Amino acid sequence: MNKSFQKIYFDPYLFFSLFLLSILGLFFLFSASNSDISLVLKQMVYVFAGFIIMILVSQPDPDIFRRTSGLFLIFSLLLLGITYLFGPEINGAQRWVRLGPFSFQSSELLKLAVPIFLANFLFDKKLPIQRNEIIMSLLIIFCCFFLVFRQPDLGTALIIACSGLFVLFLSGLSWAFIGGSFVLLIISSPFIWNILLQPFQRQRIATFFDPDSDPFGASWNIIQSKVAIGSGGLLGKGFGEGSQTQLNFLPETETDFIFSVIGEEFGFLGVLLLLSIYLFIILRCFYLALSARDRFCRLVIGGLSLTFAANLIINLCMVVGLLPVVGMPLPFISKGGSSLMSLFLAFGIIVSMGTHKKFLPQ
Amino acid sequence: MIFEERQIEKNNFSSRAIILFGLIILGLAAVLVKVFSLQISGYTDYQLAALKNKNYAVPVQSLRGEIFDRNGRALIKNEPTYDLITRPNLISNIDSFLEEIQPVIYLSETEKLRYIKFQKEKAFVNKELVLKKDLSDEEIARFNVRSFNFQNAFIAKRYRRISDYPDIFSHVLGYTSRTGDDFNAMPEIPRSHWKDVELTYASGLIKGKTGLEEIYDEHLSGRHGQRVYEMNARGQLVQSLSLTKPEKGSDLYTNLDIDAQKSAAKFLGNRKGAVVAIDLDAGGINVLYSSPAYSINKLSNGMSESEFQALINDQDKPFFNRALQGRYPPASTIKPAIGMYGLSNNIVNWDFEMKDPGFFTLPETGRIFRGWRKGGHGKVNMHKAFLVSSNTYFFSLAYQADINELSNHLSTLGFGKKVCLDCFDEDQAFVPTPEWKYSIMNAGWVKGDTVNLGIGQGYLVATPMQLANYASILATKGQFIEPSLVALGNQKKSLKTWQDERFDDADWNKMHQALLGVIESDYGTARSIRDLKDFQVAGKSGTAELVSLDSKEAYQEVRASELLRDHSIIIAFGPMPNPRYAVSVVIENGESGGAVAGPVAIEVLKSLIDE
Repeated sequence: MNKSFQKIYFDPYLFFSLFLLSILGLFFLFSASNSDISLVLKQMVYVFAGFIIMILVSQPDPDIFRRTSGLFLIFSLLLLGITYLFGPEINGAQRWVRLGPFSFQSSELLKLAVPIFLANFLFDKKLPIQRNEIIMSLLIIFCCFFLVFRQPDLGTALIIACSGLFVLFLSGLSWAFIGGSFVLLIISSPFIWNILLQPFQRQRIATFFDPDSDPFGASWNIIQSKVAIGSGGLLGKGFGEGSQTQLNFLPETETDFIFSVIGEEFGFLGVLLLLSIYLFIILRCFYLALSARDRFCRLVIGGLSLTFAANLIINLCMVVGLLPVVGMPLPFISKGGSSLMSLFLAFGIIVSMGTHKKFLPQ
Repeated sequence: MIFEERQIEKNNFSSRAIILFGLIILGLAAVLVKVFSLQISGYTDYQLAALKNKNYAVPVQSLRGEIFDRNGRALIKNEPTYDLITRPNLISNIDSFLEEIQPVIYLSETEKLRYIKFQKEKAFVNKELVLKKDLSDEEIARFNVRSFNFQNAFIAKRYRRISDYPDIFSHVLGYTSRTGDDFNAMPEIPRSHWKDVELTYASGLIKGKTGLEEIYDEHLSGRHGQRVYEMNARGQLVQSLSLTKPEKGSDLYTNLDIDAQKSAAKFLGNRKGAVVAIDLDAGGINVLYSSPAYSINKLSNGMSESEFQALINDQDKPFFNRALQGRYPPASTIKPAIGMYGLSNNIVNWDFEMKDPGFFTLPETGRIFRGWRKGGHGKVNMHKAFLVSSNTYFFSLAYQADINELSNHLSTLGFGKKVCLDCFDEDQAFVPTPEWKYSIMNAGWVKGDTVNLGIGQGYLVATPMQLANYASILATKGQFIEPSLVALGNQKKSLKTWQDERFDDADWNKMHQALLGVIESDYGTARSIRDLKDFQVAGKSGTAELVSLDSKEAYQEVRASELLRDHSIIIAFGPMPNPRYAVSVVIENGESGGAVAGPVAIEVLKSLIDE
């Protein structure tokens, strides 16, 4: 027993791959911000703090997260409410809440709170999951989705919905139900298009399907992003040498479009390296999920890591032109403390869930 | 949960996790495939697109070639001038900058306002802006001493197109004018980039507008260079990436002769008229002068609107190039051509004699055609008819001519068509035919029209250029070299010969004798100019009537109005017996041909021969 108190819960594979990713991210950010060293230093502080948070969060037993999951969800929703009431409006959206000197994007926490709460809700239920449980889960997912969607922040809202649905799916949602939902979604798509989506979101989707319609307006971003990536070629133009990036043809280089910077300056080989690191992290999480000690841990690792992966895929697909533009950062690389903190928090929980084993009688 | 149930749950979880993680990996693979198609398959296209985004090419104006006379003296040259250029992006406070530079460079209020108006937008995109044009030597010296104070300004050399003889070569050299762009010369540079052209000339982008500047514009223009800037997304110039230097245009060596042109201008004075002189060896045009003229220096380098309007509205029409566009009745100068026609068609021969009573009566109608001398010239043959310029003789000759054949004959001597190889806007003037008269006046050709043609009056009109060309055909005994202003090696010149077996060498000799006699003999109508020179000259003078009158008394009334007075005309060539130059002179409202136009022709011949 004594031994277990001395043990530090730590997953070297995740730790080093995340470390590598973060260090590379700082370099990319330096180039993407036109060599803004103060911005990079700030981000470096976040990364450092993030690793500390991750290690700290890895230590407690998963049961603690399970027992506090309801509290965590309520706290997250409370923050969201504060944002709604007091948050400053930036570019027509209320997403930020101020805590003293720090600003925090409150919806980030929901990405964690929703899957953990649902995992707690579902982990001891009999297979297959009953109708009442499904309805209950969907209701929670929809409420959280809707609150964030109203900010408006479609990207994050979709990710939150995904995070919940992943847990629901992993915990054994019946296939009949999944098929039925799909049909329902397709039937209701005109309603979603006309009533739920904001005009600028409709515009983004329209330009996605016809990028040449307005090359200097709505589709400027995606065209410039493709030009940046394409002109990188096999080896890239070199660090700090990307003309699309350095001459500001590429928009949002520090946040949503930082992948285009990497593509332009480091070429196909750079992209390959970056995607390999991401793939390694995802596969490691997959392994941890399969080998976790109980159903709750499996569901949480699965839900959180798939949320992270979905976040990644949506960003990548957006900047290469496979999906319409939605505001979504590239995990661990894009500028921004909130996203980074919630990511490290998530991986801290993943490590905790993946490394705490049940004591079997020896 | 019991163990079995747990195992089922675990298997269920595994299979579902495999589905979701599999989808994620599929997503990553799709991204990788897309990136591959962008970076590897589409590389060339996207690389071009990236270059097109950032590369901003601007033209660099080329220097035009200079123009020289036949002795290699400059007619038009590029003269340096100095402009003060600023870099507005380096100026933090515009007012204090202007205050600081005020004691160094004089600036008018309008110059200041113009500068303030443009400096902001130029500063934003890092482009240059001219503060003051054409600095004086003092200003340059003052600025150079203090240049370390002005890191944001520098002096740049620009050129002006200048002639040392701006007023006597106006029509033939022509002037340049500003153009918005020279897109056709460099289609690879978008039209909108021309607003940022790097100028070589102070007055901007220029293009030949008239005269040789226009005709040989391509030859003179050279090739513009190109500077490529790196530009960012906001349209700001970041740095210069490359420079292709412009190529200076080729110089133009003309057949013009400064001294002869000066003589023409000097002896024509402020009278209206034109002088054309042709070198008989090569057909080079040595003099092409039209009076009154205007300053091409002012026109090329910026003339005020009021000055320009004054020129346009001037009653004497200075822009009208009389040498190439003035249509004048050739009057008696046509008589050699009529004589050639009569001789080759056996209507007359050199021995044929007739009585000149001072008038000719048209047999059909009894209409009287008067000579210039009351009482006539007595018995005249062709030789004498040339010397005394007997109208009766040529009335009678023309009366017997077939008008179509005569028109055709005049055309073979260059009348009614453009004769110059490289003249700007030459008029082809006019040889009348019966068809023409019918279509224009709806009246038939009558014998009287042909009779009038016999003394170069009536419907026939010719330009001084055509008259000089005609004189050179007479001088070379029928050889015709297309007159040209520029002796370009690759330019084709056609050499034709006027030939008629019924008009042989003996006829030519007699013709030269007669035309020599016009000036050199005691009876010649142009004998008054005989003593102005020390070489012999042949020629024929004429007085073109603007109103048709029956008596001298009536003309005295007409004289009161200067614009109705007769034009004075002469064609001449010399030195005889081996002529080298032919010349034509027309002086509007100058009256008597020999005495008025004659001296101008002689002075021009003198300056050409004396060299």
